[in-house]
Amino acid sequence: MIGPKIKRGTAELAILSVLESQALHGYEIARRIEQETRGALRFTLAALYPMLYRMEKHKLVQGVWETSSNGRRRRCYRLTVAGRKKLAPLRREWAKLFAALHRLAGVSNA
Amino acid sequence: MPDWQEVVRQHLHGIHLAENDVAEVVEELAGHLEEAYRYNLRQGLTVEAAAQMALQQSGNWRELEGEIESSRKEELPMNKRVSQFWFPAFVTIFLAMLLLMVIETLGPKPWISPARPLRMTPVAVVYFAWIVTLPFIGALGAWLSSRAGGRPRAVFGSIVFPVLPYLGFFVIGLPIAIILDDKVAHNIMLPAFFVGFSTWVMLPAIALLAGGLPIHFLFGRSRV
Repeated sequence: MIGPKIKRGTAELAILSVLESQALHGYEIARRIEQETRGALRFTLAALYPMLYRMEKHKLVQGVWETSSNGRRRRCYRLTVAGRKKLAPLRREWAKLFAALHRLAGVSNA
Repeated sequence: MPDWQEVVRQHLHGIHLAENDVAEVVEELAGHLEEAYRYNLRQGLTVEAAAQMALQQSGNWRELEGEIESSRKEELPMNKRVSQFWFPAFVTIFLAMLLLMVIETLGPKPWISPARPLRMTPVAVVYFAWIVTLPFIGALGAWLSSRAGGRPRAVFGSIVFPVLPYLGFFVIGLPIAIILDDKVAHNIMLPAFFVGFSTWVMLPAIALLAGGLPIHFLFGRSRV
């Protein structure tokens, strides 16, 4: 498992990445991140929702309440235009960081 | 099945948010825990174990409460600056200038120091009626800035903002006038600077701070 400090730094990229292809609600976002990182990134509620609320405030994602067929309300998050625009430079920044760490300490680019 | 909304509400009972905001957060987090619980049941866990594992997803409840509170209350840096400094500052300068105009038009007349032609002393003009109103304006500026969570620097700036145009005049305008205007009697410029600076910058600033600082210490500190 990755430590909370590094995880917090990666949260924005992780959330934007999983929302790139489709809108998801909070639980699905956490599950998708966990699955796609093979369990390396696991978000508790305390790590996930404050980040989602901040990203919503900065208009990177938009949360909308939806009612499912069984009558349960869930808040679905989708990427906004600003969020989509932010994803590409964010990916480049992280790629640069990994390359730098690889040169420095032999950390391989994931 | 546990009542997840009740579970979340009990853990977040100390959260300081608007009622509808709390209801929304509780519903969303409860939905998350319920999804986790159902997933755990599908994995073959017992009801108790599924609930226990779902609850582990919450992490530290105190941390969750604090983080949610700060993320929901957090304003964009620009909005913060507007509410903590620019808005209170423009309210104070607008009110101060408006009152000065009213007093100049309707009275009472300003106090004018007696002229002494032989000693070349500049005449001081002091609108005491205006000075008397300034503590209230300073108090209003301090209250608006403190209420918005302004730091001491923003609160101080909001309080003294009405004297900044005069400060600018005496610090920038007067020296330029001395340099550029050879018709100004330079021998009176230095005393005029001190008299003008005292009556239009120092005195109003003291009056504004006399009203503003107590309000800042009363309201600003109690909110920290």
